[in-house]
This record gives sequence, C-alpha cells and structure tokens, in this order.
Amino acid sequence: MSRFIQKTLYALLTIFVALTAIFFVIRLSPGDPVETVLGQKATQEEILKLQTQLGLDLPISKQYKNYLKALSKGDLGKTIFGNKDVKELLKERMYPSIILASISVTLAAITGIFLGIMAGYKKNQSFDKFSRLISLFALSFPIFSLAPLMVLFFSIKLNLLPVSEWISIKHMLLPIVTLVIPLSAVVMRVTRNKYLEEVHSQWVMVTRSKGLGEVSILLRILKVCLPTILNVVSIQLSVVIAGTMITETIFDIPGMGSLLFDGIQNRDYPIVQGVIVYSTITYMIIYFLIDFINEKLDPRTQS
Amino acid sequence: MKNRSLTKEMKWGFGILSIYVVWAISWFFYKFVVKGTFLKPYTPELDMKLELALPLSNGLTLGADLLGRSLLEVLSAGLTYSLTLSMIVTIATASIGILMGYMAIKAPSWFKLVFDLLINLVFIFPSILIAIMIMAVAGQSMQGLIFAMIITGWPGYAKIARGEAKRVLALTYVEGARAIGIGEIRLFFTIIIPAILPVMIVNMVLGISGVIISEAALGFLGLGGSPYSWGAMLSAAKTVLLEAPHIAMILSLTMAGLIIGLNLLGDGLRDYLDPNKG
Repeated sequence: MSRFIQKTLYALLTIFVALTAIFFVIRLSPGDPVETVLGQKATQEEILKLQTQLGLDLPISKQYKNYLKALSKGDLGKTIFGNKDVKELLKERMYPSIILASISVTLAAITGIFLGIMAGYKKNQSFDKFSRLISLFALSFPIFSLAPLMVLFFSIKLNLLPVSEWISIKHMLLPIVTLVIPLSAVVMRVTRNKYLEEVHSQWVMVTRSKGLGEVSILLRILKVCLPTILNVVSIQLSVVIAGTMITETIFDIPGMGSLLFDGIQNRDYPIVQGVIVYSTITYMIIYFLIDFINEKLDPRTQS
Repeated sequence: MKNRSLTKEMKWGFGILSIYVVWAISWFFYKFVVKGTFLKPYTPELDMKLELALPLSNGLTLGADLLGRSLLEVLSAGLTYSLTLSMIVTIATASIGILMGYMAIKAPSWFKLVFDLLINLVFIFPSILIAIMIMAVAGQSMQGLIFAMIITGWPGYAKIARGEAKRVLALTYVEGARAIGIGEIRLFFTIIIPAILPVMIVNMVLGISGVIISEAALGFLGLGGSPYSWGAMLSAAKTVLLEAPHIAMILSLTMAGLIIGLNLLGDGLRDYLDPNKG
C-alpha cells in the first residue's frame, strides 16, 4: 500500500510540474496573448482592460500564484467572449470526447493485439507481410487526411454512413474507425515485435515441451507482452487526445476538441488554456494508472 | 532472406523520398531562381474563373483550389515548405537533444535529477497539446511554430543520446583516447558524436515524418505557421469535399506518400543497424 501512496505522490508532483510548465511555456513563448486576441488595431485602453481581466498586468510571480490558487479550486477562468465559466463549458462538452476516446482505445487495443499476435505467429507468411504493409499505410495517413477520405468513400460515394454530428451509433462509426486505424497499427507493430522477442525464449520451450496447446501458449506469451503493450498505449494516449480533437472538428462532434477549435478560431484564450489543462490532468492520471497496473502485472518494472 | 527484404524496404523508402526531394528542389529552382517569386501573385478576377477547376482543364495539370490557384503549384509550395521546415526543426531538435543528453552524463548529480524530471515530464506530456497552446498564444507565426516543435521534441532525442553516449563511453577505445590525453571537447566531437550518429540519424528520419505530421495537424487546426501548410490546405479542401473531392484526395495521397517514404527509410535503417529487432 505504501507503494501506492508513493506512486500517487509522484503523480501529483508530476501533474504539479506539468501545470507549472504550461504556465511558463505560455509566458515564455513568442507573441503576446492580448495582442493575439485583440489584433494589432486595438487601442491602448482595450489592451489595458483585457490585461486586467486576464490578470496579465500583475508581476509574473503573482500571476503564477493566482493561477495555482484558481486551479486548486478547480476554477479555469471565464471566457473572453460571453463571460461563461470555462469549467461549465468543459463539463458540457467532455462526454462525447470521453466516449469517443475510450471506445477507440479499447477497440484499437483489441484489434491491434489480435493482429499483432497473428502476424507474429505467422511470421514471414503472407498474412504477416500483408498486415505489415497495411500497418505501414495506416501509419502514413494522419487522421486529418484519413478522415476526409473516409467521408468521401463511405458517406459520399457509397452513401452508407452520415457525414457528421453525434446522434446515434451510426454517427459514431466513422469517427471511431478513423481513430482506431492508426492506433491499432501502432499496437499491432509493438505486439508483433514483442511476441517475436518472447517466442524463442526458454520458458516458452518449457511450456511447449510440457505439452500445452498452442492457444494456451499464446495466452501465456500475451500475458508477458501485456506490460510493453500497455506502456505503448499509454504513450499513444497523447496521440489519442490530439486525434480525438481533430476527429471532432472534422465530424462536427460537440466535444472538447471542437470547443478547443472554436476557442482557437475566436482567439478565446481561457478556453484554450482550460481544455489543455483539463486534458493534461486527465492524461496524466490515466498514464499513472497504467503505470501502476503495469507494476502489478510485471513486478520487475518496479524501480 | 531477412537481409534482402530489409534492403528492399530501404530502397523503396529511398526511392520515394528522392522523387519528393527532386520535386521540391526543381520546383524551388524554377519558381524562385527562374521566376523570382514564391507563388504566382494572386489575381482575383482571373482566379475566380478557375475556382475548383478539374485536373487537366484550363492548362492546369492538377486543376485549381478554392482560391483558383493552380493545385500543382500550391502542392509544390507546401512540399518545399514542409520539407525545409521539418529538416531545420529536426536538426535543431536533435542537436539540442544530443547536447543535453551528453551533459546529463557529465554534469553534477543535482543537474541529473532535474534533467531526469524534465525529460520524464516532457516525454509523457501530450506534446501536441503544448504546441497547440503555444501557437494559440503566439498567433500563427513561424517563430512560434519552431519554438513549439523544438521544446516538445528535444527530450526524445536527449533520452536516446544519453543511453547511446553511456554505452560508447564504456568502450575500450574511449579509454584509449583518454589515456593519450584527449580533451573533453575533442572527445565529444571526434569520438562520441561519430559513434552515436547512426542511431541518431535513424531517429531523425522518423522524427522528420513526425514533424511533418504535427505541423500539418497544427495547420489543420488553423494554427500553422504558414498558408503553405498542407494541413491548412486540407482543412480548406474539407469544406469543398462534395464539390471537389479530388483536392482532398490529391493532398492526402501526396502527404501520405512522403510519410510512407520516410517511415520506410527509417524502419529500414533501424533494422539494418540492429538486425535483432524488427
């Protein structure tokens, strides 16, 4: 149990450092948020007003303190346009994103692991070669170039699926497939490589000589491969987050990604900051959870 | 059997890439050196007539885009921009990464602690998010884009460089060089760098395709550093998907081709250097 507390403390520390990093990277980056929001024609008065509104007129140490204070209360500020609470907006918009991301990751993990094991099992046979070729193509079409092609093919040419919005399962199909394709390709590659690493080891030979069936040997190898695969999935989560956001803007899904996109378009910088902070925290919590599960699965990774 | 298929992978990657590089260079020479402009100046009256023209019509090989500009020209401008930017960013990022990674071995222990924390942090940080944040604040500028790419990219290289340099430093010939009395700086440049370069180059080739994708993703979200970003073009092409599907198709396929070339070359090189994997 103390291990769990230790891990939690480390996770909290990392999240704290990450939030600090977000703050300082924004302040360090070239360009001025106020000027970006207002454009270059703004009067001195407008600039000063917005600066006070955003708290950017204070000295940087004070700004940092205010930022942390607000975050600890869960306050993400108010939008520049419409003066809405960013936290409320996020609450409204997070469900489609969470649904989309979690279904996609689960499906991608299942298909990726299955195809990876199959490819490794049939190494250098036509199934392996074919699936490697497919995975190469899948990795080479970024989501924003894959999605228009999918819409073109399935919605416009074949007229099978609706183009956009988020109403029924039918609407979810295309966005999910768009996210699953590149992700499962990554999982497939890792699974295949890890499988090939393990399959010639001595313990597999022992289980085989004991007379176990092929399927139960495969399951045992899978159990050994699982930490590596989970690790890759957790690193890929950042790609999933970005991918979800891009997918949402393409398919008009009212999630956090389209909120971010609107924020970017309107230069509403508290929205952008809110979405980034929120998704960073979510991502890191999941990352550390997977890390913890990994240690349970494979005690050797404890360090 | 294995070796032959690996070289085939590399050959394909190299072949595809050289087509793109020759394309970019020859377009650059034709436009910039012969014509003296980067793109044909925009003439609304003439161009509106050409809006969304089909390929092989009006004397345009690939047709025209939303604004009536020749798609081939816009595509070539995007390619030149994307290749140049990604190479500059990758070289800068890798150099910083190598330097920081090596310093992490040599520096006092407090630096190592800070460095470890920093690397772990940026490594697990969703890098595209921080890039989005920087670009949203910085406005759509080239400096902002390069800054965002470098700050999110170097830890990956630093981690690899540190591991590689540690391995090389333990080898006998480094000890030999030390025994002759080689200086620290000379050791770094004449022995460490050449020894870790192959591994770094593999990662840089794969890194270039990563930069191209992230840059296009930012461009797609309206946060690119240039109107020539393929991402921005795709974002515009998406709005006319019904009227002119060929634009999105040509853009996607051209971009995918470049990334396939880079991935093939990178994977091939990696397997070539480390035949036990893959």
